[in-house]
Amino acid sequence: MIKKFFDALNQPLGRIGVLITLLVVFSAAVWGIAQTQKPPEQPIQFPHNLHVGVGIQCLYCHSGALRGASPGLPTETKCWGCHQQMAITNTSPLLKPLVQAVENNQPINWIPVAQVPDFVRFVHRPHIAAGLNCEVCHGNVSQMTVYQNPQVLNMGWCLACHRAKTEDNIQNNPGRDPAITAALATKRTKLTDCSLCHY
Amino acid sequence: MATDLQLPVFTNNSENELAGRWGMVIDQDICTGCQACVAACAMENNIPFVGEADAGYGRTMHWIRIERFWQGTFPEVKMTPYQPVLCQQCHKAPCEPVCPVFASVHSVSEDINLQVYNRCVGTRYCANNCPYQVRVFNWRDYTDARQRPELVTLQNQLNPDVTVRRRGVMEKCTFCIQRIRHVEDTAQSEGRDVRDGEVVPACAQACPADAIVFGRVDDPTSKVSKAAITSRGSHMLEELGTLPRVTYLAGGSAQ
Amino acid sequence: MSQQISRRDFLKLAGVGAATTAVLTGCGPASRYVTRAPYIKMPEYTYNGLSTFYATTCRECSAGCGLVIRTMQGRAIKVEGNPDHPVNLGKTCARGQATLHGLYNPDRITDPIQRVARGSEGGTKMDWDAAIGIVADALSKNKPDEIAFLVGMAPDHLFDLVADLAKTIGAPAPVRYGALGMFEARTTLVKAAEETFGQTGLPFFDIGGADLVISFGANFLETWLSPVAQTREFSKMRRGQKNKRGYLVQFESRMSQTGAKADEWIPITPGTEAMVALAIGRLIVEARGLALPPAFANVDVNGVVEASGVTLDALNRVAGLFSLYDRPLVIPGGGALGLSNGLQTAEAALALNALAGNFGKDGGVFISPTNPLADQYHRPASGREMQDFIQRMVDGKIKVLFVHGVNPLFELPKKLGFGGATKYVPQIISFATFPDETAMEADYVFPDHHGLESWGYQKIATGSASSVLSGAQPVIVPFFNTKSTVDVLLAAAQKAGGALASAFPFKDEVEFMDSKLASLLNVDGFFSAPEINTFAAYFQQYGGWWKTTDNRIAPSSADVLNRSFKADAAQFDGQGDFFFVPFVSPILGEAGANKPWLQEVPDPTTTIMWNTWVEINPATADKLGIEDNDVVRVVSDYGEVEVSVYKYPAIRPDTIAMPFGQGHTAYGQFAQGRGANPADLFGPSVNEAGDLAFGSLKVRIEKTNKKRQLSRLEGVLGVYGFDSK
Repeated sequence: MIKKFFDALNQPLGRIGVLITLLVVFSAAVWGIAQTQKPPEQPIQFPHNLHVGVGIQCLYCHSGALRGASPGLPTETKCWGCHQQMAITNTSPLLKPLVQAVENNQPINWIPVAQVPDFVRFVHRPHIAAGLNCEVCHGNVSQMTVYQNPQVLNMGWCLACHRAKTEDNIQNNPGRDPAITAALATKRTKLTDCSLCHY
Repeated sequence: MATDLQLPVFTNNSENELAGRWGMVIDQDICTGCQACVAACAMENNIPFVGEADAGYGRTMHWIRIERFWQGTFPEVKMTPYQPVLCQQCHKAPCEPVCPVFASVHSVSEDINLQVYNRCVGTRYCANNCPYQVRVFNWRDYTDARQRPELVTLQNQLNPDVTVRRRGVMEKCTFCIQRIRHVEDTAQSEGRDVRDGEVVPACAQACPADAIVFGRVDDPTSKVSKAAITSRGSHMLEELGTLPRVTYLAGGSAQ
Repeated sequence: MSQQISRRDFLKLAGVGAATTAVLTGCGPASRYVTRAPYIKMPEYTYNGLSTFYATTCRECSAGCGLVIRTMQGRAIKVEGNPDHPVNLGKTCARGQATLHGLYNPDRITDPIQRVARGSEGGTKMDWDAAIGIVADALSKNKPDEIAFLVGMAPDHLFDLVADLAKTIGAPAPVRYGALGMFEARTTLVKAAEETFGQTGLPFFDIGGADLVISFGANFLETWLSPVAQTREFSKMRRGQKNKRGYLVQFESRMSQTGAKADEWIPITPGTEAMVALAIGRLIVEARGLALPPAFANVDVNGVVEASGVTLDALNRVAGLFSLYDRPLVIPGGGALGLSNGLQTAEAALALNALAGNFGKDGGVFISPTNPLADQYHRPASGREMQDFIQRMVDGKIKVLFVHGVNPLFELPKKLGFGGATKYVPQIISFATFPDETAMEADYVFPDHHGLESWGYQKIATGSASSVLSGAQPVIVPFFNTKSTVDVLLAAAQKAGGALASAFPFKDEVEFMDSKLASLLNVDGFFSAPEINTFAAYFQQYGGWWKTTDNRIAPSSADVLNRSFKADAAQFDGQGDFFFVPFVSPILGEAGANKPWLQEVPDPTTTIMWNTWVEINPATADKLGIEDNDVVRVVSDYGEVEVSVYKYPAIRPDTIAMPFGQGHTAYGQFAQGRGANPADLFGPSVNEAGDLAFGSLKVRIEKTNKKRQLSRLEGVLGVYGFDSK
């Protein structure tokens, strides 16, 4: 029976059928992957560009990044601290969800975008301490309305940077200092260790 | 074109082997078998309970267990001193070379054995090759609240620093690596070195008898190094040459 | 057919399969569609993504260890010990660790309810105003002497409030009870100290300062008095001294977890502890060539050897240890006191301490410090007092019964008849957090917060050398629609009006606590503060207030040795072949069965999880033709239970033992219908101090030809045929 099936596939029509099936599967895959990379629909279409544009620092709202693992999302008290003083808060339909949430004491259920899988432990603090600016990983947020990732946040991307920062080259060790070479090697061992992020 | 696959390389650096990094000393003479470490470990590391039937089949997920054996018959009966058994974090770990997908790898920087959950495909070769029987396997989706509705509220207790494991994944004691990382990070942010005794795994933290000491074994002045220097000290199944990082101090009447 | 597929074809098919799988499962992280609900208003002292730690007190037993709870984003995540707290110095036991499984237990009572009928599941949900109205009516519409309060073992702020409340309305003082108190035979211990020293208070045994500890049945490493503190002291005794290793001798008929740590475990016929203690005393005096004091004059050493089954060699060896070690300490406790001659055992042990001359000295016997609120040690009710209480119920003298923090239907032996007496009480109001047996039998359940959700303080009875008032505070906002019982009672007092309202003018629980804490202002201690707000803030921050001095009271030792002590053999009820040793499960305690992780923590001696077993000596079992996991019926004059057998090598052949902690008929999905309750076998007889002589039993075993597998951590052959209940 299976032989007959393969014989049928060998006919010209069968080959076209196979081609169409493959095309459908392939485009479905592309579409599916594209879907996962699209920024999700947020409860409030938060315009990052506006907020960064008026000079608010990233760490003002995402202050946890300075101290620990998670940068956190701002509380409603923080939103309201500014917004209650602004006339537009009560007039703009876009701000209605915020007003409602505050009035009803309801949390705003944001959907995280820049996130890593559950089996990865990412800590912001050392990255900021190492002098990385937010936009190195998160892109130029001042140009975005709803936040989207500038690149796929996968392990290859993490490791590429960890390796680059610990390579014994002219950038990291301009003086060819053997002490720095050794330190870089130790650091490299640590920064490429599985146990750094997976536990 | 040759591609560097960045595969882990097993080195034979004997100086490194002796030094080690993190280690533990367990004094069996004062361990009272109270199981506080067992409960503390479960709470810290998101270890699921498996229920009576699975527990009876030997599928409990304890990362640390307390062993005891009987000697003699009544009235000359004795119980061997309680022995908490956890992953010995061998330098030459038998579990490591048998993993076909490099899920049980050696951490070069911390000198402990790791279990990388997302790599693990559940062959259980590592558990078969572990002489200490300290690796446990998720036979079911023990943490899935859709399958176990009783977990819905209980899951509020999960530790966000530790991965919640799924079915088909092997797991084991990590020396509370999340606490090591947290302390290292804190020390770094304060611009200092990690102090001795600053990293305390959940088991040592709970132990009412202070029978568990944890710290840096490569630092001869640390509490754990000093505690290990005694005629009572030994390693479990030392003759296998696994170079375990847990030292047991004999219990009973030994001086 | 299959041979017609070539390898090439197979690869083609496999390729299509892989692509389809990739599409169907999606490539992004699975948790992509998770939403995060951030704080609406974040407390000022918390940081995004960082843990906040709160100091509080453990409520799992009445020892009152200090805890620090790690919380994150409003959820309690991990229990850690409070390193400053004098009772536990940063340590915890397994029960303390599992307290989060109580907090987030799926079976908690979520709302105040009125039962449709006693014993029925569920009930009508009420709102709290109506609940408070019912409590107010119960307090004001009944005659004061018809109101009864039954509360748990912990001497906490609720107990103080209820005591004050009872005093104000003229009701009888609240009764405190707990199964641990019964199994410890606390009354006997207190009574022995009273008769020996003429001082009231709970004895304090300085294990850490001793170098030789001789224990007569005291399970001080398990559940006895303050186990975490005692374990620490044991560790100090064993290994904390320079050039000397502490030595532990344990006399008991079944090797307990404490006995397993003993350097010498001496099996002894139950009920002969008192005479063995006196015989050891006599041998010590004789070996030293001193004049025989009246205390040890009446004991016949050869008779003791015969009755107790302890050889003369062993007695001489233990007596010899007294000369070998500098600071011997003798501890009576646990099952040895819960016998008809328990008081004699306790007194004989104290006489040995008198001989060692250790009263009020390092490594000796003290009276526990009085608590900082400076009231007397208030011991929990004894068996006899509970019998009187139940008699009052049966006589119809109690019209309304308030129950909090105790589960008398489970914790009191069935034979005492609490279950039958409830029908004479027209109104039972329970404040239980969990649907325990008593809450099922109550007309109303007004659930209290879990211990980690509530304010409070607890007067520490023993375990620390200094006087301690442990502080508790909520670590999370209440998870369900529960309300603090103190708040309910205060609101009810206001609603009742009159004298009650004016006696308790407090807005809430915290204000009531402050009124009590006010007596500690400007007192020297771990901290001191001149006014209440500062004091209360420190009190919560540090997890309590304690003195930094040694407040143990040295007992008077005058003339102990010149008294004459009796040492009768214990009386045993029943005609069975076996002595019966019930003991509290070291892991579950009296109320741990509803916490799944505690159920899965193996018993330290048998490694059994999730069930009850009966321990039988292997030789006896072989003689009777009983195997491991065979279900047997254990029968006493008062009841019977069916339970699986565990062949236990370290138990006398004429003795069987059973752990207490399981056998619930309610108490949530993890406890209900699991295991058996040894207390069902207990009789009503009490010892001289009034404690229930629960161990004074002879039981028999009947085979049932059934088998029920026990889940054990230790290796077993043939692990098949488990059922889940």
